[in-house]
Amino acid sequence: MSLLKAPQNKPVWIDITRCKACDICVSSCPAGVLSMRQDPTSTIGAIIDIVAPDSCIGCNDCELHCPDFAIFVADKKADGIKFAKLTPEAEERAEAIRNNNYRLPLNYGK
Amino acid sequence: MAFDYGKYLRLDKMPTLWCWGCGDGVILKAVVRAIDKMGWDQNDVCVVSGIGCSGRFSSYLDFNTVHTTHGRTVAYATGIKLANPDKHVICVAGDGDALAIGGNHTIHGCRRNIDIHMIVINNFIYGLTNSQTSPTTPKGMWTVSQKAGNIDPTFDACKLAESAGASFVARESVIDPKKLERSLVKGFSHKGFSFMEVLSNCHINLGRKNKMASAVENLDWIDSITMGKMKFDKLEEQDKTNFLPTGVLKEDKDADEYCEMYQKIKDVHQGKRAKITQDEFEKKI
Amino acid sequence: MVNKEKALIKTREIISTGNELAAIAAVDAGCHFFGGYPLTPSSEIMHTLSDLLPEVGGVAIQMEDEIASVCSVIGASMSGKRAMTATSGPGLSLKAENLGLAQMAEVPLVCIDVMRGGPSTGLPTRVAQGDVSQAQHPSHGDYKSITICAGNLAECYTQTARAFNLADRFMQPVFVLLDETLGHMHGRAVIPTEEETKSEIKLRKQFDGKPEEYFPYGVAQNEPAILNTMFKGYRFHFTGLHHDKYGFPTEDMDTCRLLIERLFNKVEAHEDELELYEAYKLEDADIMIIAYGSVSLAVKEAIRVLRKENIKVGLFRPITIWPSPAEKIKEYTDKIPKVLCVELNMGQYLNEVQRVSSRLDIDGLFKVNGRAISPYEIVEKVKEI
Repeated sequence: MSLLKAPQNKPVWIDITRCKACDICVSSCPAGVLSMRQDPTSTIGAIIDIVAPDSCIGCNDCELHCPDFAIFVADKKADGIKFAKLTPEAEERAEAIRNNNYRLPLNYGK
Repeated sequence: MAFDYGKYLRLDKMPTLWCWGCGDGVILKAVVRAIDKMGWDQNDVCVVSGIGCSGRFSSYLDFNTVHTTHGRTVAYATGIKLANPDKHVICVAGDGDALAIGGNHTIHGCRRNIDIHMIVINNFIYGLTNSQTSPTTPKGMWTVSQKAGNIDPTFDACKLAESAGASFVARESVIDPKKLERSLVKGFSHKGFSFMEVLSNCHINLGRKNKMASAVENLDWIDSITMGKMKFDKLEEQDKTNFLPTGVLKEDKDADEYCEMYQKIKDVHQGKRAKITQDEFEKKI
Repeated sequence: MVNKEKALIKTREIISTGNELAAIAAVDAGCHFFGGYPLTPSSEIMHTLSDLLPEVGGVAIQMEDEIASVCSVIGASMSGKRAMTATSGPGLSLKAENLGLAQMAEVPLVCIDVMRGGPSTGLPTRVAQGDVSQAQHPSHGDYKSITICAGNLAECYTQTARAFNLADRFMQPVFVLLDETLGHMHGRAVIPTEEETKSEIKLRKQFDGKPEEYFPYGVAQNEPAILNTMFKGYRFHFTGLHHDKYGFPTEDMDTCRLLIERLFNKVEAHEDELELYEAYKLEDADIMIIAYGSVSLAVKEAIRVLRKENIKVGLFRPITIWPSPAEKIKEYTDKIPKVLCVELNMGQYLNEVQRVSSRLDIDGLFKVNGRAISPYEIVEKVKEI
């Protein structure tokens, strides 16, 4: 995990082997980009999932709050990523995720 | 390109052994980022950690690392620093390690104002040994050694460090990792004993029986008891009881640093200067 | 026997006390760091070093307690410098936990113990030899102690200097036992010159290959760890936990077993390098006195008196007391009919003599009231047996 270039120009990406499903990144994301999802194979039964990468505003809160070096945010300049602006829809989604035990509600937005 | 954590970490030891959501990992990340900002050569840094969950801090870092006995990080660090005054020595200890068994050494590290950077990870409990009361566990909380409810009073570690003579005292928490990183950089840049208390969440041990069994709930509790220093100073005295001020609480850039003072002793014995007398010091007692 | 090429060593005469001689030896042997705490009767070592060490660019610091002093010494030694502490019985008890870490992490250091009356506060200004058992096993767990006992003023110097080399050779703490009598005895000592002592310095082994190929604890089962000086490009981990060849904590069953076995083997496989004793007039002896430290001075005078009366008595004086010179002791106890242990404790070394000789008839002369033993008390006892 030395040099980390944003894989395929993604704004945020995860190292699934390190995630311990603590919910902190999901609770810290202002734009509803992240959600936990059920994973019967993981120790705690859940794992992190990026549900709305296009809403990522590049605030870096998830990366800085993650205790396990499991989630990373691209660097604006070095990776040439264009981050989104924070929209009311994104904030609503973030709120819905937080209120639903950090999981994106089923059929949200459909 | 994201920050290159791999340079400073012993990656083959990952994932960490800490519980899911443990603040130790957030602090580890902030320390790595702060050291990178300092531009220190990895070979010039020594990290000394104590016993407890925070004691495992040093084994994940790719520096010269030492895992000592319970409470003695500052004593070991004093030996390492005095023998190698131009190197950077960081101590990492928990609240029980630094303030209970190691209280004496912490006090004297502050008193000497030796150029060591001490990070006290305060999670308000003894985590690794499972929920015993620590000197900072709030009164009335459930601990395994006081199941009827904790009657032990707490004390303010930062105030202790200030009065003992530390020339840089700061308190941050894992709630705001950016602010934490900034204070760490200030502490690392400071010449003298930098005492940095970092409030952390232990939802597994403290939180579970005290109504904050998840990382986020425990973090919310820390948020509710901390307040930025400027806002805190404006409170009435009686309102201050249930808050801990965060930020840089003391920064004295002029205090005498111990290694520099010891160089004077070397100079006296090598005939390069006269004996040290009271007149050289403003504070004569 | 005592000094192999005695005639070839350049010497000088110094009039001083045992404590001061030990301090001078430390500086001559390349000690860079001293951490101490005032404790009668060892404080003079700290006082002397607080003047001598800064003069040569070293550091002598009075820490806030005994535990801090040994911790600072271990820290300085971990970083690659020769380091020493000095204390007495109560201080050794306090240092025990961290001495255990030094044993486990294989950190060399010299710990001088100027023995005084015990247990507990005991008799701070009076002599005893009550730390013999403690030096053999100050801390919990399994490890092998290396302990030297100086028997006269000159040995306060030579054995301290030797202790530094042994510590670096075996990568563990080495205890040098003095006692209050020797520590405060002011007299003439003929000791090696500074250049001689410096020329004998043998620093700890270092690895000079690629950092990726460096395994500090990955050494042969009968060798100590190779711990490189800090800050030179070899980054590794020190811990008091059981550890693997990189120094990282592990609980693997085989690694743990092999580690403890190696802590024993590294000493046991090389006991010939540690053995040092004095056999005084034992060739024709019917009675062997076993004594060490300042007691041996009284014993030698007692032997002079007894021999005048044609009583054939000799002295076996172990200088390296742990590990004990077991084979040699057994050699003598197998052929000499009467054996008497004279100690200023309740028979701490007599237990060892019994163990190695398999004899249950070893006599003992013990004095535990804080006073030195006079040659005449010994003469009387020898006549008794």
